[in-house]
Parts: sequence; structure tokens; C-alpha cells
Amino acid sequence: MNPLELTLGIMTAVGGFVDISELVFAAKAGSTFGYALIWVFAFSTIGIIVFSEMSGRVAAVAKQPVFNLMRHRLGLKLGLITLAASIISNLITCAAEVGGVALILNYLTGLPYMAMAVLVTAVLIVSIWVLPFKWIERAYGLLGLFMVTFAVALVAIHPPWHQIAGGLVPQVPHGLSTKELLTFGYFTVAIISAVMFPYEVYFYSSGGIEEEWSIKDLLTNRVTSILGMGLGSLLAISILASSAQLFGPMNVDPELPGTAALEAAIPFGKWGLILALLGMFFAVAGAAVETCLANAYSIAQFFGWMWGRHKKPWEAPRFTITWIALFVAALGIVLTGVDVMTLVEFAVLFSILVLPLTYLPLLLLSGDRKFMREHANGAVTKTLGWFYFAVIMIAAIAALPLYFLTSGGNG
Amino acid sequence: MSPDGPIKLVSELLDLPLIDSDGKYCGIVDDVELAGSPGKELKLKALLVGPGAYAGRFPMWAMPLVRWIAGDRVTRVPVASIRNIGAAVELDGPGSKLGLLKSEATARQWIPKKGAL
Repeated sequence: MNPLELTLGIMTAVGGFVDISELVFAAKAGSTFGYALIWVFAFSTIGIIVFSEMSGRVAAVAKQPVFNLMRHRLGLKLGLITLAASIISNLITCAAEVGGVALILNYLTGLPYMAMAVLVTAVLIVSIWVLPFKWIERAYGLLGLFMVTFAVALVAIHPPWHQIAGGLVPQVPHGLSTKELLTFGYFTVAIISAVMFPYEVYFYSSGGIEEEWSIKDLLTNRVTSILGMGLGSLLAISILASSAQLFGPMNVDPELPGTAALEAAIPFGKWGLILALLGMFFAVAGAAVETCLANAYSIAQFFGWMWGRHKKPWEAPRFTITWIALFVAALGIVLTGVDVMTLVEFAVLFSILVLPLTYLPLLLLSGDRKFMREHANGAVTKTLGWFYFAVIMIAAIAALPLYFLTSGGNG
Repeated sequence: MSPDGPIKLVSELLDLPLIDSDGKYCGIVDDVELAGSPGKELKLKALLVGPGAYAGRFPMWAMPLVRWIAGDRVTRVPVASIRNIGAAVELDGPGSKLGLLKSEATARQWIPKKGAL
């Protein structure tokens, strides 16, 4: 294990953890329910750690990414249904991320939102075309570390640490009306979905193949999953906690993604605002790249095409055409004028419906001794995996009713 | 696993990716061709690769959509070209010599070959 590579890998995972959905739901959760939803972030982070570690292990041991083996395991028909559902979910998520980056650029420059969306898409396409995989992952992930501004801002406003620690205990606040309870339930489901987005495991496992992971990288995979995502989750919790302290008491509803940046502006002024917006810009742009590539990986792997950004774009031509087409499609959705917040809500809602289809085959594959030999899931991973799968199933069943009963969390 | 030994077709072969001797992805085992007759041993004769081979395994209504996205090419890979079957089917030679990778070659004509580091 190369310590420099490991450190860079962890920092990349930290910087790349937060995306537009986590940003929005962390800020809204804090202003609406104070510190009471912190435990959902912590709980979901353990879930994504468990499944990311599994997908990285499958990549390192079986030398195949998840979607390649998913079709083999599920069969052609169910595999195709999973592919179709993943494409829709990831495309909506990608559109939400592109819209989010455009909105942040709009805040930073004052230039029109639609023009920024076109510019962002062009820059993202050029960056994927020009840069090899490792640089793409590192550039966006490391620049996303500007998000640490939110953690520093939280410390600077001297929050009630005992209440934040109390938020880590699973709870439902006392004295909520039925309507508020339903809204609390909707936020719980939305946060689980936002933290455990399906694109994350597709991207992570395909990235493992891109970087030619082998059995000697299993420890790196485990440490990167646990520390990278664990520390990344602290950034999301910082946004929630600052929102609980600053926005909640003043009844501010952080409806726009940019409102979260004010959390850094309050203690640090203009420079805090700029650093927070830069962090949001790179973190959300990185998520746009990941969602788009995850979708292209899934399609290419399902049909057995050559794929990967460790190859030159012309060495995997159908894969290249696919990711460019997916970016253009995401831009097309943004240019219809649909609101970014609506896209975020649809992304979260559709993803939770897809999650069981994503995680079940992964759970089966990583426990299959034929593929994984002595590296198949142990008792702890197996128990955690099935436990989280049951949670995801319940969340998926509850998602649509909660969405309609609460008008998308708006009560 | 050797292609000459007993194989569970569905769990050990169908829908596995194919990788050629250069490490390139060449497709998926979309169907198989068997040799044999009633009362005699069935033997694997070839792998069928390409979306055209889905027809027997897929609802007919979905085929036009699949054809539109992925085409309808089918390539026959003789069993003698298989080196090993594991998490992927490893081939004995370059995919291009077996008639695979033709769609990639066609698509490559559309991609400018410059600008990438």
C-alpha cells in the first residue's frame, strides 16, 4: 500500500462525497428539524461504505466491474430492466448536478443560468476528453476539498456540540404533528437515497478496474471506503448542523442550493462565501462527471463494449459516444427550464426506487465464493449488507407515498 | 474452468464478458450454439456474440428498441478459441481475428484522434 496514493485516494473520496442532493437535503433537514436528522447521514454513510467496499472488492478480485457481472447474475431480462432504471436515475441525477453547477456559476458571475449550463457541459466534456481517469477523479475530488470550508465555518460559529452529538442517536423528535412526522419520514428516505445513490458504486467499481486494482489493493479499498466516505459525511453533517444553528431559529428555508454557502459567509464574510461556492462548484461538477461516466460504464459493460477513460477516447469509441450523448441529454433536460430543486427531488426519488436492484446483485456477487474465493463477504459484511438491503427496500416502498403525502417534503 | 469440461450453461457461461488475448473487451456471451442429438451428449460448439443473438432470449416487442440502440450483429466464436472460463471468458487470440470488435471499428471512424493526454 503506497501511503501517498492512499492519502490522495482518501482526500479524493472526501472531496467527492457531497453532491447537489446531499447539499440541498442537509441544509433543509437542519433548518426544518434541527440536529434530529444527523443520525440518518451517519447511518446511510455506513451503508454506502459497506456497499462501496463490496464493489471495490469485486473489482479487485473478480477483475470485473459490477454491471458486467450483474447481467450474468440477474439474466438478460432483469439485467436490462436494471440497466434501464439505472440510466433514467443517473440521467436525472446528472441533469440535477449540471443544473446545480450552472446555478453556482450564476451566483459567482451573475451570468445567465442557461448559458452557464451550456458552458458547464462543454467544459465537463472537454475535461473528460482531455484528462485520463486518474486525473479526472483527482482534479475534481481534490478541488472539492474547498468544501472543508463548511466544517471550519461550523467550528467558527461555536455550535452546541452536545446537541450535535445527541443528533447521532437514532431518534424521532417528540411532539411532531402527523404532517411533520410524514415530512420527517420523507427527509429520512431522501437522505438515505442521496447518500447511497446507485451511481456511486458503479463509478467506484469501474474506477477500480480503470486503476487496475488487484488483491493487493484490498486494504486500500477498505481504508479508502471507510475514511474517505466517513470523513466526507462529516462535511454533509457540518452543513446540516450550521443550518440548524443559523437558519432554523430564523425560519429560513434554504430552498436554493446556494443558500448553504451563506453558512460560511456568516462567520468569514466574502471570502467564506467564495470558498464555500468554490467547494460546492467542484464537488457538484465532480458528481456530474461521476453520474455521466457511471451511466456510460453501465451501458458499455452491459453490452460488452470496450470502455474506460484509462483508454484514449478513440480506443473505446462507443463508450466515448455514449458519455458525450448522456451529457448532451442531461443538458437537454436542464434547458427545458425545469427547476434544479425539482430535478434534485426526482433524482432522489427515482434513485431510491432503483437502489434495491443495484445492491441486491452486488450483495449476491460479493458473497459468491466461485467468483470471490476467500475474499467473499465475511459474517459482519454479510449481516450489514442484508440489514441495509432490508432498510433500502423499506425506504423504496415508503418513498412514493411519502413524496405525495408531503408534497416533496414541503408539508 | 476449461470449455471441454462440464459447464452449467446459464450460471457459468451465459452473459459473461469476453476478453481477448490483448485484454480487450470483445462483447458478451449472448447465446450459445450446441452440437448433439436426442439421446446423445450435448457439446458446446460456439458462443454467439452480439445483440442479434438476443432474439431467442428476449420478448419480441423489445427487439426493435435493442436493435436501434445496439444493432443486430451476431458473431460466432468457435469453442476452440476459448482459453478459460471464469469471471470472464478469456479468448485465445485477438478479438479482431475472430470477427469481433467490428462495431467498435465502425464507431472509431466518428471519433477525432486528438486532444487526449
